[in-house]
Amino acid sequence: MRPNGHEILYDRIFSLSVWILGLLGLLLPVSIVGFLVVKGMHVLTLPFLTKSPVGFPLGASGGIRPAIEGTAALVGIGLVVAFPAGLGGAIYLNEYGKNRRALIIVRFAIECLAGIPSIIYGLFGYAFLAVFLSLKVSLLAGGITLGFMMFPIILIGTHEALQTVGSQLRESALSLGVTKAYLIRRILLRKAWPGIVSATVLTAGHAMGSAAPVLYTATTILNVGGISLDAPVMTLSTHLYYLVSQSLPSAHAYGTALILVCILLVVNLVSLYLKKIAAH
Amino acid sequence: MAARDKSPGILGDRLVRLASLAALVAGVSIMVFISLFIIREAYPALSGGVLRYLFTDPWTPLATPPRFGIVHALVSTVMITALSLSLSVPLGLGIGIFIAEVAPRIVKTIVRPCIDLLAGIPSVVYGFFGYATLLPWFEKNFTMATGESILLASLVLSIMALPYVASTSAEAFNAVPHNIKHAALSCGVTRWYVIRRVVIPHSLSGMFIAVALGFARAIGETLAVLMLTGNSVAVPTSVMERGQPLTALIATELGEAGVGSDKYHALFAAGLVLLILTVVINAGIWAVKTRLIRHAS
Repeated sequence: MRPNGHEILYDRIFSLSVWILGLLGLLLPVSIVGFLVVKGMHVLTLPFLTKSPVGFPLGASGGIRPAIEGTAALVGIGLVVAFPAGLGGAIYLNEYGKNRRALIIVRFAIECLAGIPSIIYGLFGYAFLAVFLSLKVSLLAGGITLGFMMFPIILIGTHEALQTVGSQLRESALSLGVTKAYLIRRILLRKAWPGIVSATVLTAGHAMGSAAPVLYTATTILNVGGISLDAPVMTLSTHLYYLVSQSLPSAHAYGTALILVCILLVVNLVSLYLKKIAAH
Repeated sequence: MAARDKSPGILGDRLVRLASLAALVAGVSIMVFISLFIIREAYPALSGGVLRYLFTDPWTPLATPPRFGIVHALVSTVMITALSLSLSVPLGLGIGIFIAEVAPRIVKTIVRPCIDLLAGIPSVVYGFFGYATLLPWFEKNFTMATGESILLASLVLSIMALPYVASTSAEAFNAVPHNIKHAALSCGVTRWYVIRRVVIPHSLSGMFIAVALGFARAIGETLAVLMLTGNSVAVPTSVMERGQPLTALIATELGEAGVGSDKYHALFAAGLVLLILTVVINAGIWAVKTRLIRHAS
């Protein structure tokens, strides 16, 4: 069967359009990042990274140091909450769980949890942690909220990393008579750590950029008092949001957006590198 | 072997087992707790009638008596989601086909990370990008008083949902067995014919998951729509008007809602609507996935 003229023409049109779409997939991220680099590069100076925002409207000059510190502290607390729970939960699901039906229900619940819009976590964190438990709008309340948001994503990533370890290794280890704990510590985690770290790094990077969960649980427009658990902090994402809602896009808003994108690039590179290790 | 004889080894084993179980139980009970908490706090707003809350009452907190219905937010969410998906689904599926079927290896290794990058850019940066680039362009070209509109938010949102559709559908197209494709190609038909008649019918489930993921992303997106829709509580009648989707409603009003007030409960009810929508989407994805796995085995 030889394709007729119409088919060949359709095929040409198809090839052309998917190449154009592929080009679009390439150009969109490149142009967004490029735009921010061009507009924000000149703002990225040492004082911008090490000074507090000043001026009117706030953030018109000065720097974003408290926002960097606040973001790091929030995600740090979030990791303290989410990583042990995510790792432990994944280990149980992969190694100990026996009841298939229960495992399926749990995994479904976790996937739902991972799909919940981040603003829902903000809503819950504000009403329950900040108000009901009187943690107030603070680093602690926001960090725990972020931790709740990160937990299911870390668990799923870790579970997938553990699943890639072949059953051969597992069975030969168990047949040597070692305990499950030994198997987990010396074999599973040794094999799966690049995948686990990669998932954790990607989740942390995602958390660093998300503003919705921390907007009403942890952040303030200006904080020069340093970092403390019971006080609100600034974050990069909410700082950018406040800058935009106060005034037209300023040079410092471009700088802040560029920093957020740089974090993203670093996180993606790290995870690519870890994936390469895992592939070996 | 030594480990089995020593009791500390067994003790350690028990400890690891218990600790990991505790972690899992803690995590899952938080999920249950969050849902119950949101349902409980949403209940007072819904007790006056779910349909009234959803479809008829306006959002007029300052009127006497104040009313808190979310019809404007529902309409905005539906309009923005539909509009952005109508862009991101065809474009995303096209990019998925390109990555899986058409692109040479080297091009693939460049485009894939670019799509991942697009998926990772924070929502607030997208909002800012739209605010700095598209908004002034809208104001100039459409002679609008303010460029903030449903259309603007939908355009930016379609870029945000695009990578989810693209990478998930690429995986689905990739999963079509090679021998089927090659058998079809060896009959002498064109590549487009094979994709249309073999690859796409084989990956319908995967394409469904791709679209559902894009849908979930579009519905739950907060910061970008908060910055671009203009936060108007009137019911939008055209895409050039301002609006306020559910997520933006919560993000705008939460700070001013006193705990226990009518507004507070109304916001939780809006959150409950979002929660139910995401669980429904996830259940759909789950159902398709389990069917896929059953077919594969």
